[in-house]
Amino acid sequence: MSNSTHHPAAMSPVEQRVAALEALLTERGLVPEGFIEQITRRYESETGPMNGAKVVARAWADPEYKMRLLADGTAAIAELGFGGPEGDHMVVVENTAAVHNVIVCTLCSCYPWPVLGLPPAWYKDPPYRARMVREPRALLAEMGCRCPRRWRSGCGTPPPRSATSSCPSVRPRPRA
Amino acid sequence: MTTLLSLSGLDLPRRNGELAFDAPWQSTVFALAAAVIEHAFDGDREPFRQQLIKAIAAEPGRPYWESWTAALEALVPTLPEPSTP
Repeated sequence: MSNSTHHPAAMSPVEQRVAALEALLTERGLVPEGFIEQITRRYESETGPMNGAKVVARAWADPEYKMRLLADGTAAIAELGFGGPEGDHMVVVENTAAVHNVIVCTLCSCYPWPVLGLPPAWYKDPPYRARMVREPRALLAEMGCRCPRRWRSGCGTPPPRSATSSCPSVRPRPRA
Repeated sequence: MTTLLSLSGLDLPRRNGELAFDAPWQSTVFALAAAVIEHAFDGDREPFRQQLIKAIAAEPGRPYWESWTAALEALVPTLPEPSTP
């Protein structure tokens, strides 16, 4: 990592734009002292798939919890203390012998932060967002998951949050 | 194409197998958006989300965090004027 952020003259264009945003928003009183560090810490080290792993493990061990999780993901995940931004409308789906589920957001890469943290780069890349809808089997195979012909692939997006949300639901396909 | 996270690689499970931010400016612009959402829009993520969708659609090949920055820049003019003390 370069030291360019310590030397304003050497900042890249995007670093300059972010610095300008920070100055403007701080001046407007929107960025409390320590807020940036707190958020960075939260999403760099405190939030991540280890949260989701606990949820899944609980579902494996406790069939009634699993039923609650599938019925109301937000509430069941909150039982374990997880929630917050991008976690207001959690839907949990189950892979079965007949259906393999994948998740994609074709518009803005939304992702279940409270249980998985921030998304990996490949999830946000245009090829993933386009190809997982158009050719899920081929893309899954490239990612190391070979789907038997009998599997139906269900392609879901994070569910819409309100009437104004425009991330569309993608209907599951009867075949892939 | 990077491989999916393997649960056997548990040394950094919380990071999906990679770092969340490649550079400080990325975590800064991420946190700035969170600040605006929380303190100017009372937790409503939709105004920022709409700008992010537009920014990504405007330049699909642009790196994600640069689109995020563009989205925040586009959101700034829509912020309520600060009330005078």
